[in-house]
Amino acid sequence: MAKYQLQLAHLYGNLLNTYGDLGNIMALKYYGQLLDTDVQSRVVSVEDEFSADDYDLIVLGAGQKFEQSIAREDIDSKRDELHRYIEGGKPMLAVGEGYQLLGQSYINQRNEKVAGDKLLSHRSELPTDGEPVQGELVIKSLLGTNMHGHENHDLVTFLGNGEKALGTVIEGVGNNRDDDTEGAVYKNTFCTNMHTVLDRNGELAKKMLLVALANKYPDADLTVQQNVKIESPY
Amino acid sequence: MSLRSSVAAGVGHLSYSVLHGIFNRGSSLPGLVALKLDPDILYHYKDRYDFVIVGGTNGKTTATALAVQTLKQKYPDVLYNPTGSNMKRGIATIFVTAPKPKKKGLAVLEVDEANIVRIVKYFKPKAFVLTNLFRDQLDRYSELYATWDRMLEGVRMAPKATIIANADDPIFNSVDLPNPRIWYGFNDQPMGDLEAPSNTDGVVCPKCHHIIHYGFITYGGLGAYFCPNCGHKRPKLDYEVTTVERMTSADSVVKFDGNEFKIPVGGAYNIYNALAAYSLARFMGVNSSSIKNAFVESPEIFGRQEKVQIGDKEMVIIMVKNQIGVDTVLDMIKTDKEPFSFAFLLTALPADGEDTSWIWDCNFETLKGHNIPYYLVGAANYKDAATRFKFGGFKGVNVEPDPAKLIDRIKEIPTKRMYVVTCYTAMRQLRKALAEQKLIDGGME
Repeated sequence: MAKYQLQLAHLYGNLLNTYGDLGNIMALKYYGQLLDTDVQSRVVSVEDEFSADDYDLIVLGAGQKFEQSIAREDIDSKRDELHRYIEGGKPMLAVGEGYQLLGQSYINQRNEKVAGDKLLSHRSELPTDGEPVQGELVIKSLLGTNMHGHENHDLVTFLGNGEKALGTVIEGVGNNRDDDTEGAVYKNTFCTNMHTVLDRNGELAKKMLLVALANKYPDADLTVQQNVKIESPY
Repeated sequence: MSLRSSVAAGVGHLSYSVLHGIFNRGSSLPGLVALKLDPDILYHYKDRYDFVIVGGTNGKTTATALAVQTLKQKYPDVLYNPTGSNMKRGIATIFVTAPKPKKKGLAVLEVDEANIVRIVKYFKPKAFVLTNLFRDQLDRYSELYATWDRMLEGVRMAPKATIIANADDPIFNSVDLPNPRIWYGFNDQPMGDLEAPSNTDGVVCPKCHHIIHYGFITYGGLGAYFCPNCGHKRPKLDYEVTTVERMTSADSVVKFDGNEFKIPVGGAYNIYNALAAYSLARFMGVNSSSIKNAFVESPEIFGRQEKVQIGDKEMVIIMVKNQIGVDTVLDMIKTDKEPFSFAFLLTALPADGEDTSWIWDCNFETLKGHNIPYYLVGAANYKDAATRFKFGGFKGVNVEPDPAKLIDRIKEIPTKRMYVVTCYTAMRQLRKALAEQKLIDGGME
């Protein structure tokens, strides 16, 4: 058993489950081992109780619009606790449709504008030319590293007050075709369009794990963990 | 037939003979030529044939070819699109190049989900066969319910056609339709109360949107589903697997409606393909023993797997195109009782699907309990594949960026057999190299 234990909520993991978010969780578990940390993952879905105190990490993944609409019907019931979690500075990763759900509004499968859960300030819209975005994406991230990933989204997102971009686009599209931003960061909530982002970008996994450890073990000396070098997995 | 379409059909026929002779790959060009001359040429075949349309994500080609084999027992002239060319021009090709049937012929057509509506415009099928719906290439166009809606658009244009559908797939029972319905599925296991693994597609009740439960699951989200919330459940089966007597990586012995059938390749998904063909043949009036013979006579129809002998090693090549494809193949090869080696080749060109995130949802970890002393990942996207296996806890996985080199690499394996589970582009690269070394016949299809 590792020295530290973290609990991860895979939010709507049986609905927003199409774009490899198990890979993000596997990355957190893999890098967790390098940081002497076991990461236990549990799906928290429709009608399940969710308390911010029970979890140290959240992954809210990408999926299909039909399933996104079912998650949307439920997420209001978890809003207060998610608000407490986010404002408390706990780490969360939100990808694609999960990223859209957290914002002010997005477009559903019937091309209607619907309200997001309004936990964050961004909004997602249909691109003006209607063209969905797919391809390789490279950004200069606010962690200082270049991040690589595959983006595959039919909505474009515009950041709101208090949000920073996860990075600046070097290659690809990112949030939209207007402002060179990709993703959103608010406190320790990291949003992105890149599928399986943590698999190619271990630095972000390490960052989330370190924040989670510092939150859960405020008196621990995490120097060893901070000094762990993240190398490209292959 | 009008003069214009006679000319179009004639030119299509000509271009096929010419191109077939010269290039040996005139797959859909005659249809393309004929359609240029007469875009509505398909209309002129509507009275010469009865039609059956086969649709769904996986198993279309196998189920179609197999159904044709069984229906030949009854119809002297059965047409189908054998090269998997399931777009309009591929379908036009088979009509313009076929000899004119003496009496009414039968055409069994594998049709791409989005093209059903374009084909049904020209003729009303006697039946639709619907195999399954899974997430395929992860472009936004092919979301499950969007694909189903496009299929329904075609089905609604033929309200008298009988729908012969896989009852174990909840989505096929999600809307009321005026059509007569025939359901096939598995009924060989006791009922429990299960949920699908959380990374399964479409785990939601199509009626009330609660998480659906299963009496048992055959694979993916297929099985005897029921909704504990609203009571929606799998319809009563008309044709069913009553017993699975044996299921190995090489074959299966099953009972359909109490009668024994041998299926000359492994895998639960091939039992579904056989059951789909059986259900259609029964619907069309073919008897059980004729169907039995048809299955055994044509083992090459089943599946996209190919065995290649390389020295004293055997390479078994199996093409996959999505997560559910990989998982069904893994389930099949795990029934191999001998130790074996395992290779996974990942490519991400448009023909493969450019988003490789699906590899993280495959159950590769279930291989760990088996005697597999050698793993290899490879092809253009080998880095993603290697990361997948590394994070999955596999140690000492070999890496080979060039699929052609597998012909050499197989010499180093400590087992007799290597399964190569491969995406389309990597398969083409590997087969090209095998053909160059005369290990298989040429030909790219």
